[in-house]
Amino acid sequence: MPATVEIAVFWPFFVYFGCVIVLVAGMVGVSYVLGSRHWERATGAPFESGIVTTGSARVGVPANFYLVAMLFVIFDLESVFLFAWAAVVRQVGWTGYVGACVFIVMMAAALVYLWRVGALEGR
Amino acid sequence: MMLPVLILVPLIFGVGAYVAARVSVAAARWIALLSLAGNLGLSIYIWIAYFGPISLAGVTGPWVLEWDAPWIAPLGVHFHVGMDGLSLLLVVLTNLLGVLSVAASWTEIEERPGFFHLNLLWVVAGIVGVFLSLDLFLFYVFWELMLVPMYFLIAIWGHENRVYAAVKFFIFTQFSGLFMLLAIVGLYVLYGSQTGGTFEYANYIGAPIPRGIAMVLMLGFFVAFAVKLPVVPLHSWLPDAHTEAPTAGSVILAGLLLKTGAYGLIRFVVPLFPWAVADFRPAAMTLALIGILYGALAAYGQTDLKRLIAYTSISHMGLVLLGIFAWNSLALQGAVMLVLCHGLATGGLFIFAGALQERTKTRDIRVMGGLWSTVPRMSGATMVLALASLDLPGLGNFIGGFLVLLGTFRAYPVYAAGASLGLIVSTIYSLRIIQAVFHGEKTVDWKIADLHPREVAIMAVIIGALIWLGLYPQPALDTVQPSLNVMQQTPARGPAQTPVDATPGAP
Amino acid sequence: MTGVELILLLPLIVLSGAAVAVMLAIAVRRNYLAAFLLTLLGFVLTIMAVALSPGGPQRNVTALFVFDDFARFFIGLITGAGLFVAVLAFDYFRQQRGQFEEFFIMLLGATFGCAVLVASRHFASLFLGLEILSVSLYAMIAYSRDREISTEAGLKYLILAGVSAAFLVFGMALVYAQTGALEFSRMPYITASPDEPLDIIVLAGFGMIIVGIGFKLALVPFHLWTPDVYQGAPAPVTAFIATASKGAVFALLLRLFAQTDVAFYPPLYVTFVILAIASMLFGSWLALLQNNMKRILAYSSIAHLGFLLVAFMGRGHIQSTAAAFYLTAYFVTTLGAFGIVSLLSPGERDAEWIEDYRGLFWRRPFVAVVFSVMIFSLAGIPLTGGFVGKVLVILAGEQAAQWALVVVLVTASAISLFYYVRVVGIMYMPAEAGGADRPALPGLSLQGGGALACLTGLLVLLGVYPGPFLDLVRDMVTTVYAGVLPR
Repeated sequence: MPATVEIAVFWPFFVYFGCVIVLVAGMVGVSYVLGSRHWERATGAPFESGIVTTGSARVGVPANFYLVAMLFVIFDLESVFLFAWAAVVRQVGWTGYVGACVFIVMMAAALVYLWRVGALEGR
Repeated sequence: MMLPVLILVPLIFGVGAYVAARVSVAAARWIALLSLAGNLGLSIYIWIAYFGPISLAGVTGPWVLEWDAPWIAPLGVHFHVGMDGLSLLLVVLTNLLGVLSVAASWTEIEERPGFFHLNLLWVVAGIVGVFLSLDLFLFYVFWELMLVPMYFLIAIWGHENRVYAAVKFFIFTQFSGLFMLLAIVGLYVLYGSQTGGTFEYANYIGAPIPRGIAMVLMLGFFVAFAVKLPVVPLHSWLPDAHTEAPTAGSVILAGLLLKTGAYGLIRFVVPLFPWAVADFRPAAMTLALIGILYGALAAYGQTDLKRLIAYTSISHMGLVLLGIFAWNSLALQGAVMLVLCHGLATGGLFIFAGALQERTKTRDIRVMGGLWSTVPRMSGATMVLALASLDLPGLGNFIGGFLVLLGTFRAYPVYAAGASLGLIVSTIYSLRIIQAVFHGEKTVDWKIADLHPREVAIMAVIIGALIWLGLYPQPALDTVQPSLNVMQQTPARGPAQTPVDATPGAP
Repeated sequence: MTGVELILLLPLIVLSGAAVAVMLAIAVRRNYLAAFLLTLLGFVLTIMAVALSPGGPQRNVTALFVFDDFARFFIGLITGAGLFVAVLAFDYFRQQRGQFEEFFIMLLGATFGCAVLVASRHFASLFLGLEILSVSLYAMIAYSRDREISTEAGLKYLILAGVSAAFLVFGMALVYAQTGALEFSRMPYITASPDEPLDIIVLAGFGMIIVGIGFKLALVPFHLWTPDVYQGAPAPVTAFIATASKGAVFALLLRLFAQTDVAFYPPLYVTFVILAIASMLFGSWLALLQNNMKRILAYSSIAHLGFLLVAFMGRGHIQSTAAAFYLTAYFVTTLGAFGIVSLLSPGERDAEWIEDYRGLFWRRPFVAVVFSVMIFSLAGIPLTGGFVGKVLVILAGEQAAQWALVVVLVTASAISLFYYVRVVGIMYMPAEAGGADRPALPGLSLQGGGALACLTGLLVLLGVYPGPFLDLVRDMVTTVYAGVLPR
């Protein structure tokens, strides 16, 4: 496709692209021009309805949270693949069935492993 | 079958010496000595049995002895070794100097003698391989292989600044070698298919290489050999390496490694690229002239004995380069004679310097002087070697230098005239060694032993060989002449190599 | 799925099965030695499966995989590398405190990813393999958790690998959008005639694919992660990244560009030439400035990938043979070099500083000689596989008339000599008296020494008698060109 034809076909995209740029630049630029700027003692402090904050904002999230997230990823999200299989179960036939079985066996093995190493204890 | 044996003996016995050193150091030394002596005997036997006039009459083709076996079949690489008069003489020299350097380091090397002899023997094997290879790939393999053990010889058993010197030596030679590899592969890629896809040296002689490409490829080879020889702008590794190496290393370096450069020029550069060489001749001969004068002058300025001898090598090798590029029978014969005699004389001088350093723990000639009365035998032997190195008639170097100048003068009188200036300077620096070390005031009252019988024997062999080559050089010249004749038959210049004004080969 | 296809798939099945088996074994009973032995068994069975599977060209299994001789060769090579890494890792982690059984699952997984890569003939399997490899590598790199540098390296690799994968996927999407094909063999000729310029979208797509692949191969300018990750990762993992990971991606690149001619359109061709030159020069140059063995080897591996690209820059059998041979020699050499770093590492830190090697020859002659052989092979000194590889690469480059590239190659090799010689030199220096504060070197185990001896023997064999192997490689690469119709 020659370049001129491409431009002829795709011109709405270029216009759209330009509009987005203008809009974003306008929003940032206008607020920069119109916005008030001041540097007080508490400008940088987080707004907590007038109450002075105490302690650090860096709260350590317990690692168990990640563990739960990981387990969710492994066992809930991966079962999505079974839905994909379910949608085409007739077309893929026995090969697909064996494949799904292998998949489930692997998930089971992973479950056994996690159970044995104590990942499910929630400590 | 005798040729692979010549290479294998040092390789195998090198490992043998390494193993033996675990039991007994003396055994390692004897294994090294006897195996090289055996190799020397074999090469002399080959000389007598195969290179006499009667046996030569039956030989067709340039190679008196040949051995060929496929090696890397998919690339057409052969383990092809062959021997003609030139390689024979150099192999004899190699083994002789090998024996002498083992003998010379008999008491010098105390540390790790097994590994030392392994490296020494492997260098010898590599050099013999270089002199015998007829396959370009094989040649390159040996060319590189002799570097690694040499590197270890300098880096482990050398003197104060050894690591620097070893690294410099290794990088100079390896880097230049890579250009040769480029040129070899270039030849193979461009002309290999016309010659059956081999690296066979003989197949590339007379290949129709266009002028520009030939020049590039020739320079690839030339750089590698010029670093080894060395030619002056590429020489700076040499004084360091020669000075820092242990005695045996210096002997091998000066006596043999430099000769591989000369051998490469004679065997490969000129026969493979006669026309590019013709174009390059003025530049090369100018470099040779610079080398002769620069080496001689620099030698005169040194205070370190081994460094002084190292610079004299540069000067002498300049003369060899001149002879090779003059490329006529006289000059070539002279170059070969000079190669042989310089190997012996300079090797001897380095053995002397090593012996002196072993006794005095210094190489500084400013603290020496007046040693003649202390060590008369050493002084006498050294004087003969120094006289050889200044081309005194009656010693082999004179024949070589004279033939080179004679041959060069016929064709290029100006260069010959310039080169003979070098002879004058060489007289000065050679006599300076004698003067500074053996004559004059005693600056330090050295209490040192004279040459032991072992060292006397070494010197006797060297001086004997030098006198023989000086008084009756004909056997050596006769041996080398047929191979030089073969190489001088340059093919006619093809249409691709459009001549300008150069004449084929020598004028 | 037929029986033959199952047999062809067997190497992949065995590898993934081994990973699951090790996982279950750990679940049953946590035992370091058992996990290691099971891993070894898995690798050995994989190699046997590769050896037994029927060879030949065009052994397609579904649209995703092909198990021709090319794939078999590289699966074998990569599995062999995995085997050696397992041996190294066994000794390496044994000295550290903590639980390291799971490392072997990761190793098997990463090897599986590599095997998928070299057998893929489809963008989908390419991406799957790459991600399996990457995800395993994230964990492997950060495996020494109590070392800050290891965690940092893992994080760096995670972020950069993620970015590069995004480039790769986007590139594939663009190529698919324009050609409608995801199988390599369905896009052999992108344009109707070779003179026609490449479509801008396909060009952008392949450009992004090159970015993604260039990251994995650590070509300059996508190399920024390399020294840090090499230094931070545990030494056996570094060995794996430098060999199996790079080798698999390079094999894939060979296949992709053997089956499509897209690399030989001027814009992409020039890109590759620039990448090759930059990698060779910068890799050699930057290695000069390092005092850390792992970083030296990292930069040197960048340079070596540049050398490999020189062989790659011609679409011919000689070039592919040269590349495959060089890659094999590089595998053996790099495994040996990092293997020594790994085996010499005491428990508390890696033997990564160049000073750790001072006087090694006098303390450990065997290790020093092996290391010297490896370094000489990297430097391309004769009688090592690296030398034959270098000659082949130069030959391939000159055959393809890439004179500039070849000259750069020689220059870069010359620069690289400085640091190679430096490393060798320091091993043969006398050990200083002040070396007492350095941690004592661990003893060499039987299997560690055996692995090193094996690698050295292999390397010397490749250098001294490469003929039969060269024949094998030459026959092997022809299969990758099978099925590509002449234009």
